[in-house]
Amino acid sequence: MNGIGTAAKRAGLKTAYGFIYKLRIEKALAYRYDVFSGIIMQCIVMFANAFFWRAIYSGYETVRGAAVSDMLTYTIISSVMAVFLATGVEQRVMKSVEQGTVATDLLKPIPLFAIYFFEELGTITASALLCGLPILVVGSIFIVVPLPADAMHALLFACSFLLSFLINWLFAALFSLLAFVTINMSPLLQIKKHVLRLLSGGIIPIWFFPQWAQNLLRALPFVYIYQLPLELYIGRLSVPDALRQMGLQLFWVLILLIVFFYVQKRTMEKILVQGG
Amino acid sequence: MDRIRYYVDVTAFQMKLAVMTMLEYPANFIGWLLSNPIQFLVGFGTLKFVVQEFGSINGWDYGQLAFLYGLAVMSHALSMLFFVQGWFMGYYVIEGEFDRFLLRPLSVLYQFFFTQFNINGLTDLIPGMIVFAYGCKAVDFSWNIRNVVSLLVILAGATLIRGGIYIMMGTLSFWTKSTNDFAGFTQEFFDKTTMYPLSMYPRAMQLLLTYLIPIGFISFYPAGELLSGMGSGGLLTMGIGVGMILLAGLFFKRGLRGYESAGH
Repeated sequence: MNGIGTAAKRAGLKTAYGFIYKLRIEKALAYRYDVFSGIIMQCIVMFANAFFWRAIYSGYETVRGAAVSDMLTYTIISSVMAVFLATGVEQRVMKSVEQGTVATDLLKPIPLFAIYFFEELGTITASALLCGLPILVVGSIFIVVPLPADAMHALLFACSFLLSFLINWLFAALFSLLAFVTINMSPLLQIKKHVLRLLSGGIIPIWFFPQWAQNLLRALPFVYIYQLPLELYIGRLSVPDALRQMGLQLFWVLILLIVFFYVQKRTMEKILVQGG
Repeated sequence: MDRIRYYVDVTAFQMKLAVMTMLEYPANFIGWLLSNPIQFLVGFGTLKFVVQEFGSINGWDYGQLAFLYGLAVMSHALSMLFFVQGWFMGYYVIEGEFDRFLLRPLSVLYQFFFTQFNINGLTDLIPGMIVFAYGCKAVDFSWNIRNVVSLLVILAGATLIRGGIYIMMGTLSFWTKSTNDFAGFTQEFFDKTTMYPLSMYPRAMQLLLTYLIPIGFISFYPAGELLSGMGSGGLLTMGIGVGMILLAGLFFKRGLRGYESAGH
């Protein structure tokens, strides 16, 4: 009896996650203008960066081991990655706290952040098709066809990007918990969005930075969001080096996961007190 | 004469109201006071690293680049203070906000252009001034009367150019009747074309941003003039700025004729 009940419950949960996921894809498809303006924005950033690298590389072949073609590929792939790494969880939590709908989210028989995670996956699936693909096509036509160094590095990139997605999302989820303690998060979100992309090598790889800045940034988890997968894509790292770096990346995923669960538990306890 | 004094009074009063609103919710202002400078300073910091590594970009070393970047951010800040409403005109149209303006005994154009202030825009002025001061020191900019006057004229003109473009884009909402806001990509586009040397872009785009949409006159050409000590002393930027705001005014008046108020 009990066994059947659990199985049914598990099946029910599975469909619940699937349903949340599907609903978000449909919602994202409904807001066509947002998608359109998102593409334009990413393309502006992509073209500006591509022209920047072309201009600054005039007269140089390779600088710090990277050629201009590497940097163009880096720029296009980084712009496509940005589509996958644009998180909505902070806005989502901020709104539900503001409007009090977090209470109904908490009533659902699924962990709160599992809802948000699957919503995010839904949004990202839609924007990958609607935004990521057009950006990749536009970049390939007008800038350069961004081919990976070789098949092995492409595979390493894919694995590493999965981990960087998790680091990025966990960091965003952790950040979103601030919504429970501060009233207006918009300025904080703004800083996070811009500074994160700059410090994670999303625009300018940190190998161009002075040594002290590199040492500092390598001790933080951010370089594992953009820079590591991109380095793998353009083939800057040998396979053993790549695996070592990905080990560190996995380590950061675990650390953030532990920190997230701990902080989330503490925060949720506080809401329950407020609600009672 | 009395009429002008009256207009000035209204503007001053609205300015005072904007400050008072800001003081009512200081946390919000303080949030932007921290976030906007950090964003621009980190942005400039990383740019400086890479330009120093290469030596220069299109003949601009990092000192000159700081000068350009700072100049661009300062006029961006001023345009955020005076003309950010252009970015959100869609909301004004959809929500029927112009009804309020139409009911008052003042020209709608004047009210929309000159009585809407966004004090938060001032927070961008801080990083602009810091980077600009840094650039001035690096290029040994001489603070003589001519340069100071030119600088002020350039900032005023650049603010008008930006404002004119924002409002012209916003005016389209009178026809499209949608709340599509251009904030995101307008800012991105202006940032990329005013904070970096325009000469790094393809020839066609340079021509476009010089003759059709005069974004080049916001920072790139005036910075070149100030650095070389030659040119019109900012009068060209000022002239284009006045022209753009007049054009925006004409376009706005034309659009307002089709305004039908909101459904409620």
